[in-house]
Amino acid sequence: MPAAPSTASAPVAPLKSPVVTALIAWIIPGGGHFWLGRRGRGLIVFCTVLAAFGVGLLMYGPMFHPGGSDVLTRVINIGGFIGNLASGIFYFVTMACGYAQPDAGGHASDYGSKFLVVAGLLNILAMVDAYEIATRQKD
Amino acid sequence: MPVHFSHFEMSLVFALLASIILGLVTKRTDRDRVRYGAYCFGCFMVALFGIGWVMHFLHG
Repeated sequence: MPAAPSTASAPVAPLKSPVVTALIAWIIPGGGHFWLGRRGRGLIVFCTVLAAFGVGLLMYGPMFHPGGSDVLTRVINIGGFIGNLASGIFYFVTMACGYAQPDAGGHASDYGSKFLVVAGLLNILAMVDAYEIATRQKD
Repeated sequence: MPVHFSHFEMSLVFALLASIILGLVTKRTDRDRVRYGAYCFGCFMVALFGIGWVMHFLHG
C-alpha cells in the first residue's frame, strides 16, 4: 500500500542570518536589501532615508537627546532619540562631524527635527522588511 | 542659513518619502508597490487639502 503524501511543509531555511541582515539594514539604510540581493530596493531605501535626513539637516533641525526634567519630556526625548539613532550611519557621521544644532524655535527648525526622526522611522520599516525577506516570509 | 520650506512643501516632501517606503515594504510585486505608493500619496494629499480646508473654515 503506497504511503499517503505528507501535507506538512518542511521548515524553510532562512535566506541569510536575519539578525545580521537587520543590523546591516540599521547601520546602512538599504544595506539589508543589498545584502540579500535586492539591490534596486536597497538603493531606493538608501536614497529615501538620505533625502529625509538631508531635508532635516538643511532646515537645521536639532537632534533629540535622552533626558528631561519631567516624565513627558523624557518620553518625547527618548522617542526622538531612538528615531534619530535609527538613521544609522547618517546619524553617526553627522554627530561625529560635531553637529549640535540648538532648538532655535520657529517652524523650520521644528520641521527639521521631525524630518530627522522620520528618516529613522522609515529606516525601521525597511529594517523590518529586510528581516522578513531574510526569514523568507517575503520575496 | 537654514533652508525655509513652506508648510505645504514640507507636507508634500513628507508624503512623497513616506509613500515610497510604504509602497516598497508592504506589497510583493513591483506593480503592486507602485500602485500602493501612489494610493498612499493620494491619501496624504486628500488629507492635506481636506484638513487645510477644514482649518480655513474653522478659522474664518
